[in-house]
Amino acid sequence: MIKTTRRNVLKASALAAGAAAIGNSLPTLKALALDTYPNDTQEGGRWVSTSCQGCTTWCSAQIYVLNGRGIRVRGNPNAKTGVGNLCPRGQLVLQQVYDPDRVKTPMKRTNPRKGRNEDPRFVPISWDEAADMIADQLIELRQNKESHKLWVMRGRYSHMHHLLYDHFPKIIGSPNNISHSSICAEAEKVGAYFTERNWGYRDYDLLNTRYLLAWGCDPVSSNRLVPFSIHALGRIQEKGKIACVDPRLSTTGAKADDWLPVIPGEDGALALAMAHVILTEGLWYKPFVGDFTDGENHFVAGRPVDENTFEEKETYGLVKWWNLEVKDRTPEWAEQVCGVAREQIYKVARDMAEAAPRVCVWNGPTMWPNGSYASLAIQALSGLVGAPDSFGGHTGGSPGGPKHGPNSMADFQDDLAKEGTKHEKIDQRGRLEWPNLARGRSGSGVNTNRVADAVLAEDPYDIKVALIYFANLNFSCTGTDRWDRAMAKIPFSAHITTHYGEMSHFSDLVLPVAQHMMERWAYTSQKTRMYTHISIQQPVHERIFDVKNDETEITWMIAEKLADKGFPNLLNYYKTYKDPETGAAPTSGEEFAIFALKSYTKNIWDPTGEKQGDTLNGWQDFVEKGVWNSIKYPYKQRWGGKFGGETGKFEFYSETLKAGLQGHADRHGVSVDRVMEACRYSARGEKAFIPHYDQPRREGDPRQFPLMLIDAKSRFNREGRSQNCSWYYEFKGLDPGDLDQEDVIKINPVDAQRLNLRDGSQVRVTSASGQPITCMLKVWEGVRPGVAQKYFGQGHWAMGRHAAKEFLKTPRGGNNNTLMHADWDHLSGSTARNGGFCRVRIEMI
Amino acid sequence: MTNYAMTHDLKKCMGCGACLIACKIENNVTEGIKWLNYETKTTGKFPNVSYEVQLNQCNHCDNAPCTRVCPTRAMHKRRDTGLTLHNPKRCVGCRACMVACPYDAISFNRYEPHAMFKDDQALVPGGTSSGRELTSRMEGAPPIPTYNPALNQNYLGIRKKGLVEKCTFCSHRLARGQQPRCVEACPAGARLLGDLDDPVDPIHELIARYPSKVRMPEQGTKPKVIYLRNYGY
Repeated sequence: MIKTTRRNVLKASALAAGAAAIGNSLPTLKALALDTYPNDTQEGGRWVSTSCQGCTTWCSAQIYVLNGRGIRVRGNPNAKTGVGNLCPRGQLVLQQVYDPDRVKTPMKRTNPRKGRNEDPRFVPISWDEAADMIADQLIELRQNKESHKLWVMRGRYSHMHHLLYDHFPKIIGSPNNISHSSICAEAEKVGAYFTERNWGYRDYDLLNTRYLLAWGCDPVSSNRLVPFSIHALGRIQEKGKIACVDPRLSTTGAKADDWLPVIPGEDGALALAMAHVILTEGLWYKPFVGDFTDGENHFVAGRPVDENTFEEKETYGLVKWWNLEVKDRTPEWAEQVCGVAREQIYKVARDMAEAAPRVCVWNGPTMWPNGSYASLAIQALSGLVGAPDSFGGHTGGSPGGPKHGPNSMADFQDDLAKEGTKHEKIDQRGRLEWPNLARGRSGSGVNTNRVADAVLAEDPYDIKVALIYFANLNFSCTGTDRWDRAMAKIPFSAHITTHYGEMSHFSDLVLPVAQHMMERWAYTSQKTRMYTHISIQQPVHERIFDVKNDETEITWMIAEKLADKGFPNLLNYYKTYKDPETGAAPTSGEEFAIFALKSYTKNIWDPTGEKQGDTLNGWQDFVEKGVWNSIKYPYKQRWGGKFGGETGKFEFYSETLKAGLQGHADRHGVSVDRVMEACRYSARGEKAFIPHYDQPRREGDPRQFPLMLIDAKSRFNREGRSQNCSWYYEFKGLDPGDLDQEDVIKINPVDAQRLNLRDGSQVRVTSASGQPITCMLKVWEGVRPGVAQKYFGQGHWAMGRHAAKEFLKTPRGGNNNTLMHADWDHLSGSTARNGGFCRVRIEMI
Repeated sequence: MTNYAMTHDLKKCMGCGACLIACKIENNVTEGIKWLNYETKTTGKFPNVSYEVQLNQCNHCDNAPCTRVCPTRAMHKRRDTGLTLHNPKRCVGCRACMVACPYDAISFNRYEPHAMFKDDQALVPGGTSSGRELTSRMEGAPPIPTYNPALNQNYLGIRKKGLVEKCTFCSHRLARGQQPRCVEACPAGARLLGDLDDPVDPIHELIARYPSKVRMPEQGTKPKVIYLRNYGY
């Protein structure tokens, strides 16, 4: 190790500056001029701009196209959000697009019986016939005044999603636009929303931070900002520290100064104990939080404090929170609950506070029953150290961009459609046990995984027609067997997909979609590195197969068919997307795609459009550069009472959550305590409004199911879509503890010995109410004893030759979602995946 | 003269694999073969566990055992660049080089490479595609979808069954003054190729700044992939 002297620190920072430049533009080598090398310097290809949606970072990217084929992928050098490079997911896209197993034509089912073991007997049909079939179904629904029995499901999407996900069902007359959000991240958003009113992700100022606390996530592999995190993590440690909370050793954990292998789901206890240390030792960041009026610290363990003795600055309710909860949450208490040694709790809390406010508390998913309150506790730590909007901390919103978005559809909804959309949504959101408090409003958040149960129970009604795009719920939702039964029950469903997914198997129509990064016109927006970008997606070369864009071309074909059959409203709405340059209305799906994109983004590429950020020189400039950059996010933008929410402050006692819960309770004419009870939280009274310890719920008798299952996201998961790439399996061993070509479940050697399980065995994994799976056992020190860890994404039985062991017959490995039963964090509507909520038994086969 | 060497900063490396995949694409490497490979190592007992990833590849050794054992001089050193290169026209596939290489950096084509793109198998007849159909629909009907023709300029576009292959430090890119693809594709900026014979090359500064090591120095091969700092904490 180099000794840390001032001289070395200065040298290191000079080098870091140089190295940062390397990340973006590498030094050019002297070209060799040798007899064996042809003296050409140009390959003749070109970089085409687009966006990667392999995760939610939504990087602006470029594909190098040579002779009509993409052969390289990189980050878009024009994007200030990027580092010029992509994570491995970006590299995988070429195999995803150039996959022999892609669906190449629309197909229809000829076997009316639906089931896992039924051969659908798909036969190829034309796009015309496919669109006609869908239009017939929609017309029939409307004729029978059952338009609400249409369900449109969106998985991943572009920023033009309204055209299919939102306005399409509303113009037909259905309330059922259902997104996948709550199988993804909603519990995480609870933490940031009810403290600092950000229903979304945070951007982290990683290049300026001095302490990264990665909580329940591995930023260099997943969650968000992945390429930026890969770029930044090593640099953070040159000047600061990293701690990682995770029951299994991740890459960030391996790199960290402190790895805190918490007992799954007990994160709330750990976070509260850290808060306790920060308060009792007087380490909170006073310019943000404020101080006692007499300058003395009165936070003493177990003792309540008079609220009037503390004057807060940018925060609200600190003393209330202390009195209701934190005063009793000592590290000595937490150690017993969360399994992290008290010494480590003290150390990490002190180290973090010492770096304040240049601290990034990276709040991971917390997707487990009652996970909302752990999410709040973790986010509250960021408030104690003054991280929100601080230099080296995290940001909430975006610095303000141009207006971009859809045209109004109000004029195109007829009375029948207006009536239809008044029905209750199929996912049951808003019922007593489903507050789904997205942005604090009762029933405003989606309940993705509940749809299967609702369809099966026909509660609130039966679904007759389903259109599903960029999603594969029979694979990606927990309790997959429910989805198999639900999709078999729906009379007509169309699956819009690149590959034959598990969901396709139950569909009446399979429609081959243009892959988002290389085959379609659209755009995305995201924030990273203190900037917001708006990034284009475009076909980088001629399409190889007869595929169509989900949100524009397929919708257009259906709209045309509906117009032919006497319902022109949808087509007329789509025709409002005129080319802003020529004023021409679209006459085909291809034109609709481009005109809609130009129309959505006019303010961005039109040099006269109002915006704070880059000025682009017209449409063609946008197509070529591929990205618009905002101004840099201004530090302290929300300080001074501008956080929004009920108080405008960072809320330790959440008046915003109180208002949301009260609103939900009022809707049902009950008390908040009754809501808490119905949603299976332990909190009563005011505890419902603060970050508190809420005991995690687990299913399975520990004697029969001795291990807590935790899953994690593979660094190669382009969600569930990259498992048919041979490279995915060739490099799978780069997920810490995993093995190339295998799907492994990992346990600690202590458990292997206790349970008499042998490393490398094929095993059957069983849970109390999920379905069993089989995979390989890996005995590994990087897993906490009592825990079994397995990445999700493998275990496909459909999709293709690499993903499945035997297509439609035998999965390759096992799907965590098959093993896990369906349970929820009801406040957010999140499907539980983390926190060890599902206990398992492992047996050698 | 030029004497190429590569540095790999383990502190910056996140073991993400972007370089490994980019290498496969750039060099038309078939499934089952890796010019750039990796090893992982877990040590200690819970909770004091350390984990590290180390990348492996041809070290372009100054004293390369593979060239000394090659009966046909297919494996050879370039005096002008210091690269250890493989001439497939001379290669007889005897694999002596593989035995001699202490780094396990040379691979043998036991099977027909990229066979998937030569078959007509469709999982759903008429509904899904096949390898042959996919490539035949693409412009110029390439042998593989991501075929990089530049490899043909000084190596072989796709190597043949029965022959060996290995990393060239992307000599086809060096010819254009470009860094190797693994360097370019690394989101961490952990890798750099430089010229040891050029006193102002930035690589010297990196080697001077950080603790460095090479793999198996005791073998006397004088390897030129230089690892900086440590992966784990």
